[in-house]
Amino acid sequence: MTGTDIGQRPIGPIGIVALTMGAVMMLAPFYFMFVFATHTRSEIFSMPPPLWFGEAFLQNLDILRAKIPLWRNLGWSVYVGLMSTALTLLFCAMGGYAFAVYEFRFKRQLFGIVMATMLIPSFLGMIPSFLIMDFLGWIDQPRALYIPGAAPAMGIFLMRQYILSAIPRELIEAARMDGCNEFRIFRSVVLPLLGPVFGTLGLITFISSWNNFIGPLVVMRSVEMYTFPLALRSVQSPVDTEWGALMAGSAIAVLPLLVLFVFSSRRLIAGLTAGAVRG
Amino acid sequence: MPKASVPYLFLSPFFLLFGIFGIFPIVFSFVLMFQQWDPVQGMGAMQFVGLENIRFTLEDPWVWKSLRNTFWLAIASGLPQHLVAVPLAYLINEKLQGSRNALMGAYFLPYITSTVAIAMMFTTLFSTDYGLVNALLEALEQWPLPSWLIPQERIDWLGTPETVKPVIALVVFWRYLGFNLILYVAALQSIPRELYEAARMDGAREWRIFWSITLPHLRPMMMFSMTLSVIGGLQLFEEPFILTGGKGGVEQAGMTTAMYMYRTAFEFNDFGLASAMSWLLFLMIAVATWLTNRAFGPQQESI
Amino acid sequence: MFRRIILTLLLVFSLGAQAEKKVLTVAAYPAVDAIVKAALPAWQQKHPDVDVKVVAREYADHHTAMTTALATSSNLPDVMAVEYGYLGRFAMSGGLEDLAKPPYLAHQYRDQFVAFAFAQGGTSAGTAGGTGGQSAIPTDIGPGTLFYRKDILDKAGLQESDLTSSWDAYIASGKKIKSTTGAYLLAHARDLKDILIRANVPAGEGVYFDAQGKCVVATSPRFKIAFEQAKAVRGAGLDAKIGAWSNEWGEAFKRGNVASQMMGAWLGGHLSNWLAPQTKGLWRSAPLPGGINAAWGGTFFAIPARAVNKELAWDLIRHLTLNKEQQLAAFRQHDAFPALKAAQSGPFFEQPIEFLGGQKARLLWRDTSLAIRPTAVFKHDPIAEEIVNAELDLVLTRDKPIADALKDAGAMIDRRARR
Repeated sequence: MTGTDIGQRPIGPIGIVALTMGAVMMLAPFYFMFVFATHTRSEIFSMPPPLWFGEAFLQNLDILRAKIPLWRNLGWSVYVGLMSTALTLLFCAMGGYAFAVYEFRFKRQLFGIVMATMLIPSFLGMIPSFLIMDFLGWIDQPRALYIPGAAPAMGIFLMRQYILSAIPRELIEAARMDGCNEFRIFRSVVLPLLGPVFGTLGLITFISSWNNFIGPLVVMRSVEMYTFPLALRSVQSPVDTEWGALMAGSAIAVLPLLVLFVFSSRRLIAGLTAGAVRG
Repeated sequence: MPKASVPYLFLSPFFLLFGIFGIFPIVFSFVLMFQQWDPVQGMGAMQFVGLENIRFTLEDPWVWKSLRNTFWLAIASGLPQHLVAVPLAYLINEKLQGSRNALMGAYFLPYITSTVAIAMMFTTLFSTDYGLVNALLEALEQWPLPSWLIPQERIDWLGTPETVKPVIALVVFWRYLGFNLILYVAALQSIPRELYEAARMDGAREWRIFWSITLPHLRPMMMFSMTLSVIGGLQLFEEPFILTGGKGGVEQAGMTTAMYMYRTAFEFNDFGLASAMSWLLFLMIAVATWLTNRAFGPQQESI
Repeated sequence: MFRRIILTLLLVFSLGAQAEKKVLTVAAYPAVDAIVKAALPAWQQKHPDVDVKVVAREYADHHTAMTTALATSSNLPDVMAVEYGYLGRFAMSGGLEDLAKPPYLAHQYRDQFVAFAFAQGGTSAGTAGGTGGQSAIPTDIGPGTLFYRKDILDKAGLQESDLTSSWDAYIASGKKIKSTTGAYLLAHARDLKDILIRANVPAGEGVYFDAQGKCVVATSPRFKIAFEQAKAVRGAGLDAKIGAWSNEWGEAFKRGNVASQMMGAWLGGHLSNWLAPQTKGLWRSAPLPGGINAAWGGTFFAIPARAVNKELAWDLIRHLTLNKEQQLAAFRQHDAFPALKAAQSGPFFEQPIEFLGGQKARLLWRDTSLAIRPTAVFKHDPIAEEIVNAELDLVLTRDKPIADALKDAGAMIDRRARR
């Protein structure tokens, strides 16, 4: 490609300014969360709020540690998040693949049912969910958190869309003609190509599992079993919240998500370079 | 030819989980719609009241107000998200590959910021007497701008019915823009480079390439993320909740249907009514989703 | 971290393998959980074979979890902390053990507690001296008081009595304060409405409903007066339109933009600790204007009917509420004003409070708490409050005529209450 090609023309200065301003606005609250994590409660509750880091981080951590077993709670959040993500990726890939690639009886109706489950608001299901967990004896167990939602309709939908647009029929036909059975095709031909969408869905699933506190609120009955957001919330009082400690906790809570994001965005890139599917 | 049972096997995890965990809550909620139930009194306290809850819901002015709020917020926060995310994804993918990760990371941060932090930040930012936004607006008074553009006195952003809705829409936009950006960038990865190269060699202009190559390939993903935005928008709960302190704001301007439902259930302890509202909302979302499907489908079916 | 998890698991298993210890579960919210935990060492000396598990949740989460537990009769704690605002609902639900019956016989302790607090925990809608059941025992209360900035009053040439002699005097003082110092009288006009509708509620009636459960919003003079005064305050620009517990609210205290705040006595502790520590010595605490005595919140302990360890639970509750040292400790650490009368005396109460310029405010609060009368609570109180607040907003911001607003509020509440 020659240098004068239009597609190579760099983005103009206005564009750069706009993008940067946009990025700053996105970053600002996040930045303040970290800044507030290093200040005491009365420093935070003033106007203008502190703009730079303070020295109270360790103090805030101590306050937090005195109230909740925070490393345990973090551990549970990580565990539940990982299990939830692993199961979701597998089950949704399977479901999306079925809808994208096969024709079968009741396909439309089944897809309708899948879609319909996305529309139901969650918190009214709290009490019946609790009854089910009680019946199964899953109260106070992490599996109550990651198993019920392990095949979310949203994930199946996403997989279906992705497979429809990114996996060519010819590849599957060719594998069939080579004599592979259907599951073999799924495992060896299709799964490896799902890199970008796995990265995306994995990220979304982990984040949603991480931030979910309604599930644990209903099911967990001891502070040691809480996931982190619930534990953090239990530090909040109607009139007496330790804001510095809360921000410190929120900052800690966000770090694994950041790490995960960095990790999965590499997969997105890997998907690009490995994914020249056609040709 | 593949065996007929194969697709069903692939779908079995979903339907198994749905059968065990999904059906009962739905049935329970459906039955609850016809009962009057104060949950604190225990399961035995349910009283059959027929269509009373449904009638009450349809006649309740607050239900209709909340629906209006919800629709307004869904559109005002959803539409800009996609209008900005699609071209932005294209730009990031095509022009800014070097800083792609950093930019995507920056735009994605709001999605992973905790709601507590978000509530604090935005209430501080939009505070009437001490907030940055009002301070900036006051600074603007120095500039020679038409007076209708600059408010004469400090705006009570979160306390005035007219302004609390745009603020909520802004926060929702801020929060989910990065999410849609990620989806679109992932989708853009699947467009083969050769198409772009061929088009550029043919001398096609950037805009033309975007319109004729990128957009059609993005269609499946657009349908997906638009559907999510529609559903998410109509079920909007968290952002209005935290920005109005859980109360819905002055004149309930910030009260969405989901929030009203939650308060009916847990503050006013009327589960039957909340159930009726949730099914009403479900109907609305179903219709809206179907419409979105019509707009962005139909998909090319599998061979 | 993995090692920690393994070690913890091993520890848990080994503990479980030991002799079967009884486990008492206490469900609470901050800061009640801290109060309970602090009380445990003394109690466990008498009960060394009992493990106490304190399950803490955020305030709203806790009550949601308790609602769920009561709804399904499952996962209930042995001791349940309930806040004043939720007490009515829970008390009338039938899911809480009646503590007036044997073996508890709670009425024998009635006189040891502040009258209204004990009555509020009763099932017969909290009528004073009622002989109905008892759902919960009070542990702390929030006697209402008027905190005001003495320095602002001085600048305006006013005395405390100008603020407190009557509501008209309060508002007139507010105008003077505004014109001489520029400070607002109070944070929000709604605060005024909240107090006035609770003034002089006839015995046996609730705030929004009379003894028969009929809505009184449109007919009772209390509401008319409350709305009128709130409107007057807003019209004279005396309220800062700031919601409580927001950043602006805290900042207003720091900067002295708000001259007074009516709230529970525990606000003093917050002001001193973190809201506005720099304003030390500038505040005073006064009785509420117009001779009103009201309470802001309060914590109660109840035993669910389906709890497992009821006797142990009752023992712990008595330790928390009847033990003078325990009540005083809670007051010292967490500003939990004792509901136990015996704890309301002694050197701590006589102590001058530095933040309030050396005022012996605790005595004032005690007197207030003894004079508060209980109000009946009704199931529809939360929605009634919501509707009334909405109508007040319309009156304040859209100039809706008060008579119409009250009529509409009454009609809407009736509609809801018929269910």
